[in-house]
Amino acid sequence: MEQRIIEIGESFTKELDIVKTSKDLENIRIKFLGRNGLLSQLFEDFKSLPKEEKPKFGQTLNILKNTLQNKFDEKFNEVSEGEKSEKSFIDFTLPGKNKSKGSKHILIQTLDEIKNIFKGLGFSVATGPELESDYNNFEALNFPADHPARDMQDTFFVNPDFLLRTHTSPVQIRTMQKYAPPIRIIIPGKVYRNEAVSMKSYCLFHQVEGLYVDKDVTFAELKGTLVSFAKQLYGNDIQYRFRASFFPFTEPSAEMDIWWQPAGKEGRWLEILGCGMVDPNVLRNVGIDPEVYSGYAFGMGVERMAMRKYGINDIRNYFDNDKRFLEQF
Amino acid sequence: MKISFNWLKEYIDLSGIEIQEVIDKITLAGLEIEEVIDQSKMFDNFVIGHIKEVKKHPNADKLHLCIVSDGVNDLKIVCGAPNVAENQKVVVAKIGAVIPENNFEISKAKIRGEESFGMLCSERELNISPNHDGILVLDNSLEAGTTAAEAIGLNDVIIEVAITPNRQDALSHIGFARDLAAIFNRPVKYPSLDMKEIEEESSSLASVEILDPDLCPRYVGKVIKNVIIKESPEWLKTRLKSIGLRPINNVVDVTNFVMHEVGQPLHAFDLDYLSGNKIIVKKAGDDKTFTTLDSKKRELQSTDLMICDSQKAVAIAGVMGGENSEVTLKTKSILIESAFFNPSSIRKTAKKLGLQTDASYRFERGTDPDITVWAAKRTAQLIQMTAGGDICKGEIDAYPIKFELKKVELRFDRISRILGYEIPSEKVVEILINLGFGIVSKNELSATLTIPIRRHDIEREIDLIEEIARIYGYEKIPDIERVKVTLEAKFDETEFENSVRETLNGLGFYEIITNSLLSESVAGRFGNSIGVLNPQNMDMSNLRTSLLPGMLTTISRNIKVKENNLQLFEIGKVFNKNSDVIKSFDDFSEDSMLLGIITGKSIDTEWYSKDSFFDFYDLKGYVYQFLKSITDKDIEHIYISESNQLFEYSVKLELDGEELGVIGKLNDELIAGYDIEQSVFAFSFNLEKLSIIPVEEKKFKELLKYPKVYRDLAFVIDNNITHNEVSETIKSGSSKLLHNIKLFDIFQSESLGEGKKSLAFQLEYYDETRTLTEEEVEKDFKNIIKSVEKKFNAKLRG
Repeated sequence: MEQRIIEIGESFTKELDIVKTSKDLENIRIKFLGRNGLLSQLFEDFKSLPKEEKPKFGQTLNILKNTLQNKFDEKFNEVSEGEKSEKSFIDFTLPGKNKSKGSKHILIQTLDEIKNIFKGLGFSVATGPELESDYNNFEALNFPADHPARDMQDTFFVNPDFLLRTHTSPVQIRTMQKYAPPIRIIIPGKVYRNEAVSMKSYCLFHQVEGLYVDKDVTFAELKGTLVSFAKQLYGNDIQYRFRASFFPFTEPSAEMDIWWQPAGKEGRWLEILGCGMVDPNVLRNVGIDPEVYSGYAFGMGVERMAMRKYGINDIRNYFDNDKRFLEQF
Repeated sequence: MKISFNWLKEYIDLSGIEIQEVIDKITLAGLEIEEVIDQSKMFDNFVIGHIKEVKKHPNADKLHLCIVSDGVNDLKIVCGAPNVAENQKVVVAKIGAVIPENNFEISKAKIRGEESFGMLCSERELNISPNHDGILVLDNSLEAGTTAAEAIGLNDVIIEVAITPNRQDALSHIGFARDLAAIFNRPVKYPSLDMKEIEEESSSLASVEILDPDLCPRYVGKVIKNVIIKESPEWLKTRLKSIGLRPINNVVDVTNFVMHEVGQPLHAFDLDYLSGNKIIVKKAGDDKTFTTLDSKKRELQSTDLMICDSQKAVAIAGVMGGENSEVTLKTKSILIESAFFNPSSIRKTAKKLGLQTDASYRFERGTDPDITVWAAKRTAQLIQMTAGGDICKGEIDAYPIKFELKKVELRFDRISRILGYEIPSEKVVEILINLGFGIVSKNELSATLTIPIRRHDIEREIDLIEEIARIYGYEKIPDIERVKVTLEAKFDETEFENSVRETLNGLGFYEIITNSLLSESVAGRFGNSIGVLNPQNMDMSNLRTSLLPGMLTTISRNIKVKENNLQLFEIGKVFNKNSDVIKSFDDFSEDSMLLGIITGKSIDTEWYSKDSFFDFYDLKGYVYQFLKSITDKDIEHIYISESNQLFEYSVKLELDGEELGVIGKLNDELIAGYDIEQSVFAFSFNLEKLSIIPVEEKKFKELLKYPKVYRDLAFVIDNNITHNEVSETIKSGSSKLLHNIKLFDIFQSESLGEGKKSLAFQLEYYDETRTLTEEEVEKDFKNIIKSVEKKFNAKLRG
């Protein structure tokens, strides 16, 4: 018994010495001073001692108990003081731990923005191949055989019958061949033009086109839809105008301008998209009767839109993918 | 195309209409005005001055001191022109004037000690001619103080018009006036063709034969004799200069004037140089070269249409005349050519020659065969007016293929069905008549119209509806605010791609977009590449077969600017042919691919951590997270240790035996070719294959109600035993109470012994229906230890 009292006292002191946190301290309390702790066991054993030995050990045990409790309390104060002061030393100005942000390419973000507006206006989203047939890209869209756009100088041909699409309009043809009206889609995607790479032009760019074919689709509704789009994208108070224009696959055709007022510069009309009523020849080419159905179509370039919005002055920035550029968006 | 307002006013009365209104309305009607130059604004502070006194400058021999009256004040002006003299009327640039030639602003100056309050101008300084021999001396009848703009006719407004390819009919002042006539409901005034002709017939002096009528359906000639070639009168020069043309001589200037007046390109031949006094229109055939009037030798194609005489070619039809028959100062007799050529033939010739002229620009868009006679007469009239001479009677009119007037029916109710707005039928008829369409018949429901031949763009009812709408004004058609939508189910074919993007963004990856066109050698390295027939340059001659070259170029470019730590991906199409000749969509594949990379440091040196480089396990972790967003199914990993041309080592990922993609460390030699010296880890997936993995409908799993029990253990085993082998053994040796095995530590040290490593696992036990007892976990735990020790000769640590 005596031996055990000494041992417990020593190991308590030893363990208490190296304790640093209140959690470890609690473990020591449970081990030594807890309800089933070593000290309690000693008192339990004390009960079964012969009568004559009880007074001697009783006193020793009580001293041990008080000593342990005092030492514990002292350490407890020390540890909790330490922990308190440690908390007040947190330096909130240290930089947080770095994480890579990640982002979609700014052209995709701009596409998303356009897409979301039209999805809200009840449009589906269709896609199609970039390597297209001359038929889908030109012929079916009412481009006459000797139209300048069909010339090698404007279009990348793989052979006389296949080419890199010059607009996403072939997907209009594909969709109208596949589904019967009503058709209400937008078509985002990459398109190609045979142009030299420079500050203002690149051999490829991104486009969003729209198509709505149904009974009684009118030019007035086309205007209403595009005005709604432009207001959602550029703000409610935009000034806009529709100007007569020409595209082989629409008739009547128009271009939409908005008044563009850069800070500190002279304002001007800025073309944002081309549009028009689907030419009856196009509808006939996909087997839709233009006497029964009518439709409208529109298209816009994404690169230029983002250039204006973010003040990007060189189109090549989009395709150089410099991390310092990517991280800005 | 440039239009002069002063000139335009000869053909339409625009009184009471502001220029700005003309510009706004015509732009909305489809003739877009791109630039407006108001000459009078350019000549603010320029007035006519009267030179009262000229004295020598006391300090400079070549300078003069002049006293010039601007009508109000006498100004002291220093002038260096040799021709300055008293009593001249000159143009004075007063203080504040901006010299058009060089945008220099005049201010008060001291020149060699003498004050000067303005400048006397030369023609060049005013930008009205290249003449800079001296100051411009004007007619003495002009009054001092008159604005210079008025006095020298520089009060014009010049507009630059962009004409869409369908509107060649508007490529002239009269053409432009026709649209204005319709917009403002005012008549077009055609000039009268009054002239004196001699009895001698044009056809008795020259003849025309057309051998290729398809390429030249009409050729009109008219002869004028005894002309005197000289400088054009001022009015004619002013007209041409106002639209940026350089006056040459009276005859050439007249042909240019009439072209810009009515849109018909004209040519004047020196009749004395036409052998046999004959014009033959035919293809070049064996002729290989031809010298045009700019003295340049041109290479011909055998199909180019030529104007010839009985012996030789004298002009490239519709493009440019020849040096051998051009009008010179000695010319006496002229044959005026006014023809209609096949537009695509002219386009091909002009393009091949790389020679676009005002004439070819018009012919290739389609001119008006009906105006040819009128234009020939008008030209003769003006030549006589400016060069004298005798106009021979009548015209030679070779017209082998006649154009028929088109007739189109217009149903009035179709207008509102297309436009969504009703335009009164009287207004409709008024617009069409003002545009020059003829009414054949008309009733309540419809009208039949004849279409002038010049309107090649109008053939159908819908074309008429466009004419009505654009002239009536798109702005008057309401924007329907309540937009119709269809109620069918919507689809979004970009949805999957977009969710891939968003998952990768969440993992810290930046999206890039690279060029789909590569050089043949680069594209050929990764597949069966498809070339384009007409590349911009040889670096962009083939369609990409892989996203890798674009990615490596991007990495390389970033490293050059010290952006070494990259986490990038691209989604894009790659193209491979599976047949030498592409005749159908089956002969090639166009696949949507995803390529991602990590390279450089995953953590730079930071206050909380030492730096650490991306490694294969970072890659595997990202890919695992990414795939978890697509499927819960187990992906099979097939490890490929040997290096290939893409990877140093790689792991093929499969699902149900179908390959989804591959991940690995990129081949060192491959990336060295892009000057990349740091390790690059990449993943590549076919998006199509990922998108068709069936998505199992998510079902909620009850949350565990009973506690989990964890047990840790560590084995010392041979180094070449993989983590997978050990964890599979643990799994097979344990009961179904074991749900997860996590490797939480791995290390090697001398104390473990050579060729040994320690793997530490945490095992997670639970049962969904009850609390586990100590004993059953302990029993399972012991079984595991036994089976691992036995299988790998492993030792339990500690």
